[in-house]
Amino acid sequence: MNKPLSTLTDDEVRQIALLVETLERSTFDYLQLELGDLKVTIGKGNAPPPANAAAPGPYSAVQPAAPVASVAPASAPVSAPAAEPKLAPQPAAAQDGTVTVVAPMIGRFYAKPEPGAAPFVSVGTEVTPDSTVALIEVMKVFTAVRAGVKGVVAEICVQDEQLVEYGQVLIRIRPIE
Amino acid sequence: MTVSRVLVANRGEIAVRIIRACRALDIDTVLAVSEADRESLPARLAGRTVCIGPASAAGSYLNFRAIVAAAEGTGCDAVHPGYGFLAESPELAEACAEQGITFVGPKPDQIRRMGNKLQARALARQFGVPTLPGSEKVHSAVEAAEAAKRIGYPVLLKAAAGGGGRGMKIVAHPRDMGEMFASASAEARVAFKDDTLYLERFIANARHVEVQVLGDRFGNVIHLGERDCSLQRRHQKLIEEAPAPAITEQLRQQIRQAGVEVARDIGYENAGTVEFILDQDAGAFFFLEMNTRIQVEHPVTETITGIDLVQEQFRVARGESLRFAQHDVSFRGHAIECRINAELPREGFRPDPGTITEWCPPEGPNIRLDTHCHAGYTVPIFYDSMIAKLIVYGFDRAEAIDRMRRALEQFTIAGIGTTLPFLHFVMRDPEFAAGKVNTALVEELIARMPGVAAAGVRLAEA
Repeated sequence: MNKPLSTLTDDEVRQIALLVETLERSTFDYLQLELGDLKVTIGKGNAPPPANAAAPGPYSAVQPAAPVASVAPASAPVSAPAAEPKLAPQPAAAQDGTVTVVAPMIGRFYAKPEPGAAPFVSVGTEVTPDSTVALIEVMKVFTAVRAGVKGVVAEICVQDEQLVEYGQVLIRIRPIE
Repeated sequence: MTVSRVLVANRGEIAVRIIRACRALDIDTVLAVSEADRESLPARLAGRTVCIGPASAAGSYLNFRAIVAAAEGTGCDAVHPGYGFLAESPELAEACAEQGITFVGPKPDQIRRMGNKLQARALARQFGVPTLPGSEKVHSAVEAAEAAKRIGYPVLLKAAAGGGGRGMKIVAHPRDMGEMFASASAEARVAFKDDTLYLERFIANARHVEVQVLGDRFGNVIHLGERDCSLQRRHQKLIEEAPAPAITEQLRQQIRQAGVEVARDIGYENAGTVEFILDQDAGAFFFLEMNTRIQVEHPVTETITGIDLVQEQFRVARGESLRFAQHDVSFRGHAIECRINAELPREGFRPDPGTITEWCPPEGPNIRLDTHCHAGYTVPIFYDSMIAKLIVYGFDRAEAIDRMRRALEQFTIAGIGTTLPFLHFVMRDPEFAAGKVNTALVEELIARMPGVAAAGVRLAEA
C-alpha cells in the first residue's frame, strides 16, 4: 500500500473493514486488491508477506528464520497487514545519520555466538547488509539479526542476554558508501 | 506454587478485568501488547508492558513462543490467557508448564480433550450426559447423507476442531448435502487446519444454556449456576443472562447437575463452561461442548452469585482449594449483559472501527461496565469489534430489563457506529420480555427493527 493510512477517506476505511469481515467468512486465505494507487492485502494469518517489506530508507526488515505463530484458531481476529506501515517498527535513519537495527521479535538478545566467544560486532566494526550482528533466542530457537546496511557500528543499545521487545532498537549503524 | 507476577496475554476489556483482579490479590502484572496496543487502557493500568509483536495477531497474541519469552524475560511466574487468542491452546499451557510457569486455566490434556468436539461428545456420553443424535467422523458427502438419513433432517454439519460457528452448516434437505459438505469442510480447513466433520440433529426451537463450573486440583468441582446465551447472530452471542428464564426448576437443576458431572469426571481444574442445547419443543437438553477458559459473559454469573470468577481462577491456579462448597453458593436476582460492538446494525452489522470522539457511559446502582474504551481511543481494525460489556442487576428479570433499557438510553458513544440501537430495540421487545427466547430470535428482531429490514435480508443470504 503506497498511501499512508491517515490519507484514507472514512469511506475507504469502511470498505476495507467490510472486506475484512467478508474475508473472515470466506474460505480464502488472503485477498489482494488494487484500486488506482491504493493496494490492499488482507489475510488470515497465511497471507503473503506484505508489500511494505520493501520500506523506504536503508533499513530493511530482517527475515526471521524461526518458526513463527502457527494456525489462527476460530476466534482469531483477521489481520490486515495492509494497514501496518503506520504501526510496524520503521526506525528510519536517526537524526545523527545512523541507521537502527531493531528486534524482529521478542526474545533474549545475544551479542556473542556462544559464551566466552568474541561478540559479533563492537563499536567500530565494519558491517555489510548480510553481517550477523546478534542473535535473538525465543524458547531455544535462535534467529540471526542482520545489519541490513553497509556501515560502521556506532552504538550497541542493549546488554548481552537482555530481554528485548519486538521493535526495540538494538544497534545503531553509521552507513558508508 | 506461588503466583506473584502475572503476564496478561490478552487485550481489551478482559485485560483490564484481569489486571483489576490481580490488584485485588496483590499480584504484579505485566501486559503483553502488540504494537497497536502500546497506548491502550490496560497498558496504562498494568505494572509494565512488553511488546510481543506486530499489530497482526498472528505475530503477537497468537504466538505462544513470544508469550512464554515475555513471561520468562519479565520474571512472571504465571500467565493468564483471558478468552479468545490462546486461551484454549494446549501448546501454550504445555510450554508454560515446561518453563515452570503457572498457566491460569485447566491442564493441557483437559484443554485438548475438550478442544476436539467429537471427543468431547464421546466423553459426555460416557459420563451419562445426553448428547444430540449424531454421527462419528464423516469422510464424504455420501457418507454424510447416509448418516443424515439415520439422524433425520434437518441436520447440522460441524467441524470437529470447531468453534465460533465456523465450519458449521445447516442442511435442510438431502439435495443440499453435497454443496454444504464442501463448503463446511473448506471453512474448517481454513479456520482450524482440520476438515474433520460430523453431524448432529439440528434443533429449530433451541436455546443455548451453559453451566459455569469451577474446580480445584483436589477434585472439588462446583457449579455457579447457568446462563442463557440464546441471543446470537452468526453464532456470536449478543445478550446473555442469568439465571436462564422460563424453564422449570427441575430442568434447571438437571442442567446444572449435568454440567458438574462432565467437569468432575475429567477432574477439571479452574473455571470452565459446559454448554448445552435446550430443545424447547421436547423439553430435553443435550451436551454441546465445554469451553476450557473464562468466558466473555462471566459477569452475569458474578452478579448473581457475588463471586469474583477471575480472582477464584488465580486462587485455584496457585494451589488453593475452593473456598466454598456447593451449598455455600447462593443465587440472588437476575443479571443481563449486553455486548456493545463497533458495528452498524442498520448496515448488516458491518464493523465500524475508528476514533471514539465522545464516550459517556451510564452510571448508577447495579450497573457495571467492563471496557477498555474512552473518548479519544481509536478502535483498531485488527481485532474483535467488541468495545464494552454493559451488565445490570435487578431483583427479578423485569427489573433487570428495565434497568438495561434505561442504561442503554444513557449511553452516548460518538465517532463510531455501535450496536446500542439494536440492543435497545431488543430490551423493548415483548417476546424477549416474556422470556420467549431462542437462537433464531435475533434474526427475527433484526428483520423487525425499523431501518434494518434491507440489511436483514442481506444478512440471511450471507
